[in-house]
Amino acid sequence: MEDYHKPDQQTVQALRNIANRLRINSIKATTAAGSGHPTSCCSVAEILSVLYFHSMKYRPEDPRNSNSDRFIMSKGHAAPALYSMWVETGFLKESELLSLCQVDSSLEGHPNPKQQIVDVATGSLGQGLGVACGMAYTGKYFDKSSYRVFCLLGDGEMSEGAVWEAMSFASYYQLDNLVAIMDINRLGQCDAAPLQHHVEKYQKRCEAFGVEELCKALSQPRHQPTAIIAKTIKGKGIPAAEDKLGWHAKTLPKDMAEMVTKDLQSRIMNSSKHLYPPSPVEDSPPVSLRNIRMPSAPSYKTGEKIATRKAYGMALAKIGRYNERVVVLDGDTNNLTCSDIFKNEHPNRFVECYIAQQNMVSVAMGCAARERNVVFASTLAAFFTRAYDQLRMAAISECDINLCGSHCGLSTGEEGPALMALEDVAMFRALPTATIFYPCDGVSTEKAVELAAMTKGVCYIRTSRQDSAIIYNSNEDFHVGEAKVVYQGKDDQVTVVAAGVTLHEALAAAEHLKKERISVRVIDPFTIKPLDVKTIIDNTRATRGRILTVEDHYYEGGLGEAVSSALINEPGLNQVRLAVSHVPRSGKPHELLKIYGIDRDSIAQSIRKMLSSSTNAK
Amino acid sequence: MATRRAYGVALAKLGEASKRVVALDGDTKNSTFSETFKKAFPDRYIECFIAEQNMVGVAIGCATRDRTVAFASTFAAFFSRGYDQIRMGAISQSNVNLVGSHCGVSIGEDGPSQMALEDLAIFRAIPTCTVFYPSDAVSTERAVELSANTKGICFIRTSRPDNAVIYSPDEKFEVGIAKVVRQSDSDCVTVIGAGVTLHEALAAADMLASEGKNIRVIDPFTIKPLDAATIMASARATKGQIITVEDHYKEGGLGEAVLSAVGGEPGIVVTRLAVSGVPRSGKSTELLDMFGISAKHIANAVRQTFAN
Repeated sequence: MEDYHKPDQQTVQALRNIANRLRINSIKATTAAGSGHPTSCCSVAEILSVLYFHSMKYRPEDPRNSNSDRFIMSKGHAAPALYSMWVETGFLKESELLSLCQVDSSLEGHPNPKQQIVDVATGSLGQGLGVACGMAYTGKYFDKSSYRVFCLLGDGEMSEGAVWEAMSFASYYQLDNLVAIMDINRLGQCDAAPLQHHVEKYQKRCEAFGVEELCKALSQPRHQPTAIIAKTIKGKGIPAAEDKLGWHAKTLPKDMAEMVTKDLQSRIMNSSKHLYPPSPVEDSPPVSLRNIRMPSAPSYKTGEKIATRKAYGMALAKIGRYNERVVVLDGDTNNLTCSDIFKNEHPNRFVECYIAQQNMVSVAMGCAARERNVVFASTLAAFFTRAYDQLRMAAISECDINLCGSHCGLSTGEEGPALMALEDVAMFRALPTATIFYPCDGVSTEKAVELAAMTKGVCYIRTSRQDSAIIYNSNEDFHVGEAKVVYQGKDDQVTVVAAGVTLHEALAAAEHLKKERISVRVIDPFTIKPLDVKTIIDNTRATRGRILTVEDHYYEGGLGEAVSSALINEPGLNQVRLAVSHVPRSGKPHELLKIYGIDRDSIAQSIRKMLSSSTNAK
Repeated sequence: MATRRAYGVALAKLGEASKRVVALDGDTKNSTFSETFKKAFPDRYIECFIAEQNMVGVAIGCATRDRTVAFASTFAAFFSRGYDQIRMGAISQSNVNLVGSHCGVSIGEDGPSQMALEDLAIFRAIPTCTVFYPSDAVSTERAVELSANTKGICFIRTSRPDNAVIYSPDEKFEVGIAKVVRQSDSDCVTVIGAGVTLHEALAAADMLASEGKNIRVIDPFTIKPLDAATIMASARATKGQIITVEDHYKEGGLGEAVLSAVGGEPGIVVTRLAVSGVPRSGKSTELLDMFGISAKHIANAVRQTFAN
């Protein structure tokens, strides 16, 4: 281990002092808050002290500096320990710690990026390593710079599959700038973690995944990510709690806290050494993500046919041509989602994530952190359900990521319901920071990609499998939250709001009904969230209050409910909804649309019914 | 008693009645109270550790071929981790029961990563799902019994804070049947709440009663299916005024379920109170207030309906 310079005694003492101060601060903060996980903090004290004052190269005064080493506290419940480190660096005040969890404090129960010191929120376990992979991948392959990424995991959370997806990814892509530190303190929330203190079993698992254990790695050139498997004691420093069950998330009562902190304080020896983190190497290229624009208007012609999934792929390749920080991820579905079009043109900016959607979303978040990249991640829309916890945390983390789900709804056809997304609009609508694009043709899909790249938060684009006609001119202007009236006449009787495949069905129904002298108006919402409430209400009023919504999605939480929400409390409006009501089956797409009542005939029939019941009502 | 604690008691009771009842949990049994079952029947409790996708899969497996009646629990927020498995469970026609605790901002200090605010939306979007949101210990126990006997995916949403028992032990409950828990001859608004917000609604009713105003309060019991008939009848009796209040985001939850149920009926006005925007850490009561779903806000919303 020739490269390893053992720190001198003074340094070691200073590091020990910092660790014990971390313990004291974690106990004080959680006791004051009456909430938190002091024993989980105590086991990571030395790890954090060494990381923050010896191993990591970063700028303490600029926590989001692009050259700095990154740190992710994957075991988010040790938040007070993280906050303590930033008190040590001087970025946070010690008094702030005592306001932990208070409703007006910036220090919350789990880390979130309202604080500069946190890149992504953690607290839902098993997600940090995937994000760290995204940051490390960016550092190694996109930024090509020296910064390293450190991720601290608990042993309880290593039961999560997502952790092992991340390990696979890290080893496959040889992320030798990534260090995973595992706090093996033996105890989970209620019981011991399955492998208890058997660190050799963790070592074997890491090695099986291609992740080298630290000591070995130090003596050889490193081409693999590294794991440090730390055998620690939960509650270390709190005698009554050390290595004992029943102390997870238990704060110390005031008198015990005072006694314990006094004891810890007495262990803090004077050290002449004042530690300061080493500076980072400044070799990260400057990046600006403003003005990510398409170089030209879409080149489709009305009447041409193209699947929106293909238009997505072409749009990605186009935007990637002139914006070198656009990167694309996919989960071994690039020939289905058509992200292969981007891959073939810009192979160095395509990251294959294989069949591991949770990890793909986390890696996307990591690539987008510190505004290093504009990220698009795609797979079949149904499989984003696999990553819903990661998406939920992405919203809490205020991440800017763009997702594209193909094969939405019944349009998937023969493959059947396992591959059909019929609940995806509902799940994305329930994310606070989400924008949902549901373009119906090639032109609007290209616009959606451009808008997504520029829109903050989680952007989701829903694409379909089959070909559909181009209905917009290339110079049509599109905006988030702006619907288009795509078909109208004089004296329209009903407003139909539909999207994607059902928009084309609605247009066909409208043409057919014309022959029966029934005139209807068709609206393409373009974005389901936010929804263009004004356009929908104005047009519905113009059609005597009659509105029909049709969606390739279940009834709950989708376009229909979004429209009901919008029409709420508008008097005199009558909405009928068509959607899929049961788990569907395999079949040809047009057959399925008919069976599940969302095809042109069902639309026409619904409209006739609405008109006859109005007549009857009169 | 917190509904999460009542869940534990109910599950153990059910386990006494039937040997085929098994329980699973993801290292949260002392929070979800599945530990009450574990203590009584350790051989029928399966610790799945912190791996929710797998827990849902294992529960589905346990329930196949009708070998067991399986109840799997964790924090409601973490069922989002197993959503693909739940989706496939419906496609598989599985009869699994999932119980999510620590719903909403009412959990307090731990903050948004631990709060379920989108779970009603995602479970409602599962075709075979029945969504129970019991508001007290009695109805929680009934929900557990009904889940065990209801086909498809059953989801029971439980809360962290303690609240009052409001039903008598012999109150009968059914899937899709709401309870009118407060009414008079001169109710001016129907307020629909569930769990924590049902109790806030009752508190608001007390506040308003002292001002000489009466409101009708409904506990839906199941969000899916929703008792549209009771809601409609109540709305008509209260001049068409409905206020919904939920510890959940606006999209896809109780409010939108009610809208779907009453949609199209002329003369019905619905005001929806829900959490908007990612919340934060704080005391439970402070957060209910901060995010607009406390008794104070409900009472204000009621007063607003007079103004309009």
